[in-house]
Amino acid sequence: MTLLLWTLVVPAVTAALGVLPGPRWVKEARLVAGLCVTLILSAATAGKFLGGSVPTAFDDALRVDGLSALVLVLSAFVGFISGLYSVGYLRRNEERRLMPRQNEERSPVARGKEERRRAPRGSEERRLVPPSRRREFDALVPLYVFAMLLVAVSNNLGILWIAVELTTLVSVFLVAFHNRDTSLEAAWKFLVLGSLGLAFALLGTVLLFASGRGLLGEGMSGLNWTRFMSLAHELHPFTLKLGVVFALIGYATKAGLAPMHTWKPDAYREAPSPAGVLMAVGMLNGALYCLLRIHLIAKAALGPGFSGGLLLMLGLLSVAVATPFILIQWNLKRLLAYSSIEHVGIMAVGLGLGGEAATFGALLHMTYHTFVKPLAFFSAGTLAQLHRSSDFEDIGTGTLGRTPVASGLFVLAAVMVTGSPPFGLFFSEMIILRAGFLGPHAAWVAFFLACLVLLFCGYFFQVGRLILGPEPESATRRKPDAERLDAGTATTMLAAVLAVISAFYLPQRLLDLIHAAVRVVEGGP
Amino acid sequence: MTTDDVVILCAAGMLVTAYLIVGQKALFVAIRLYGLQSILLGVVAVAMGLTDHRYHLFIGAALTIGLKGLFIPWFLMRIIDRIGIHREIEPYVNIPSSLLICLGLTVVGYRVSTGLAEGGRGVTHHVVGVSLSMILMGLFLMVSRRKAVSQILALLTVENAVFLVALGATSGMPLVVELGISFDVILAVLVLGILVHRIVERFESMDVSRLSNLKG
Repeated sequence: MTLLLWTLVVPAVTAALGVLPGPRWVKEARLVAGLCVTLILSAATAGKFLGGSVPTAFDDALRVDGLSALVLVLSAFVGFISGLYSVGYLRRNEERRLMPRQNEERSPVARGKEERRRAPRGSEERRLVPPSRRREFDALVPLYVFAMLLVAVSNNLGILWIAVELTTLVSVFLVAFHNRDTSLEAAWKFLVLGSLGLAFALLGTVLLFASGRGLLGEGMSGLNWTRFMSLAHELHPFTLKLGVVFALIGYATKAGLAPMHTWKPDAYREAPSPAGVLMAVGMLNGALYCLLRIHLIAKAALGPGFSGGLLLMLGLLSVAVATPFILIQWNLKRLLAYSSIEHVGIMAVGLGLGGEAATFGALLHMTYHTFVKPLAFFSAGTLAQLHRSSDFEDIGTGTLGRTPVASGLFVLAAVMVTGSPPFGLFFSEMIILRAGFLGPHAAWVAFFLACLVLLFCGYFFQVGRLILGPEPESATRRKPDAERLDAGTATTMLAAVLAVISAFYLPQRLLDLIHAAVRVVEGGP
Repeated sequence: MTTDDVVILCAAGMLVTAYLIVGQKALFVAIRLYGLQSILLGVVAVAMGLTDHRYHLFIGAALTIGLKGLFIPWFLMRIIDRIGIHREIEPYVNIPSSLLICLGLTVVGYRVSTGLAEGGRGVTHHVVGVSLSMILMGLFLMVSRRKAVSQILALLTVENAVFLVALGATSGMPLVVELGISFDVILAVLVLGILVHRIVERFESMDVSRLSNLKG
């Protein structure tokens, strides 16, 4: 078997092993080791590509070019780090089951507000993960990683669709994991909207295939992306346009671009933090990758204006939609979801603007985002676990005094996620903005910049209030659990170190991958 | 009767079942109609395979009839039997207006189909026209119904319509891809079923309009 196949087999086997019983440390070791090996194999596959060969399998159905290699490595990285964090996360959850909290009384004010918002909560017991569900988690996370990697390497549009559908089905169970009322609601919305999006994407794929009018061939290879690219000028324009619109809308639903973003805040709030990262970074990168593949076919056949304009509009709309919702946000993880809608919008704007500089900016943004977002999710997850809720109301203002480490890390994450200098996302946003102002859409880019500034202020308004605000009187508040240096905190710190390093130093080979991906998008040598 | 006639007849039959699903309040009738629609889809595939001597379509047709025509309806029936909810009580849009709206959607679907590569003439015109209208009707059904099972049926109608486009506008999707897609659809229905079960257990209703606590 080739290296490429091993990269896919290892997470699949890890998922299969996940259902086996065993003591806790065996399960943890199995999960982390499997995902670690996956990361190493993915890096090796990308290295092989950089070495000059193009790894393929199954008659070109799987093929690694620059874009695939970049997304492959980033997805495997996210899979590994969230697997690592899940060790600490699930341990905390289990401890909490054994040790019900002491001061359960809530202030009457808080309770009244809660009733008014009508957010039904399960009892404390229900919210925690029973040991039997752990098996589900251990199988689903590697399966998710498998599907993400399959998305990254598939050259066949049919297999691409199947892999994306697989990520959806797996993540439904991850969203419904806690089995609260709100988890079921989020999972249902996510599944219905996601399935509808994927039905659109399937229709788009079928129409793209139909636009070939039989020239693409009957067999499996007829759906190959490379085949589409080589025959781009022969495709029937109207059918192709219809197909591109459906496929872009479909995959944009998965990416969470507005106006198809509504599942995102609900799903992120309900998913356990390690799974949240998989969705916020892994699925986002994968869906953006699908959008790019479709965009490239349209670009080759119809010129850059058609699908590029669509991507630009979706991106601008996402950034604009995220702005007011960040300002009125009431939940920590939903805040992160709107931040993720903002970032996918920024990437879509970069890709929609087109040109070498903007594309480089968008892909660089994707890379930095992949390194920074885990820190935001892990520190937010820790805060939510310590306060036993992710709603601002339950956490209370001024957390810095009560949980200094998690709060400090969350502020650090906020500084990086909002794109403050001197961290990475600042530079990638600058590259996109510069390319935009030099291009023909300068007025739209000015609007985009205004939204970014508002988002920056909004995010810091929320974070400042939550972390640095006045401490509430202790009598009316639940006290959070004490912070300890456990596996979860250690992983969060590791994520912080990686995020800071990535801002100042990206390995040369990773930069080579980004440049190779830009060449794929811009059609260079 | 030539095979072309069979194709047109069955495609028209699928459109009729879609209309009947829209006009139907009893869930178990709607589920049976969906089963009938899938069987008609299978017959279209067989007839097309016979005309063009594309025998790989038979495998897809067998899968469609077996899984979508028989298994999924049986599975959905079992769910509503267990839950004991048999009727769509009050759709957001009443039935006569729904039917009128769907009539408009059919016109739109046929109009769009004339723009496609092979859409303007002969058998494919009807097949693609029918499937595009069914997609629009499925979307309409999705937003106008409250019950979880009705929404699943809407999704499945869209899915069937996409398969019909694949038959009409292309020479059928490659077999491996079609198998993968069918497998995913089955999996999606099972997941939806499990979720409906959990929702009913928790909310004692499958009225999805109650799932409205998450906002902002």
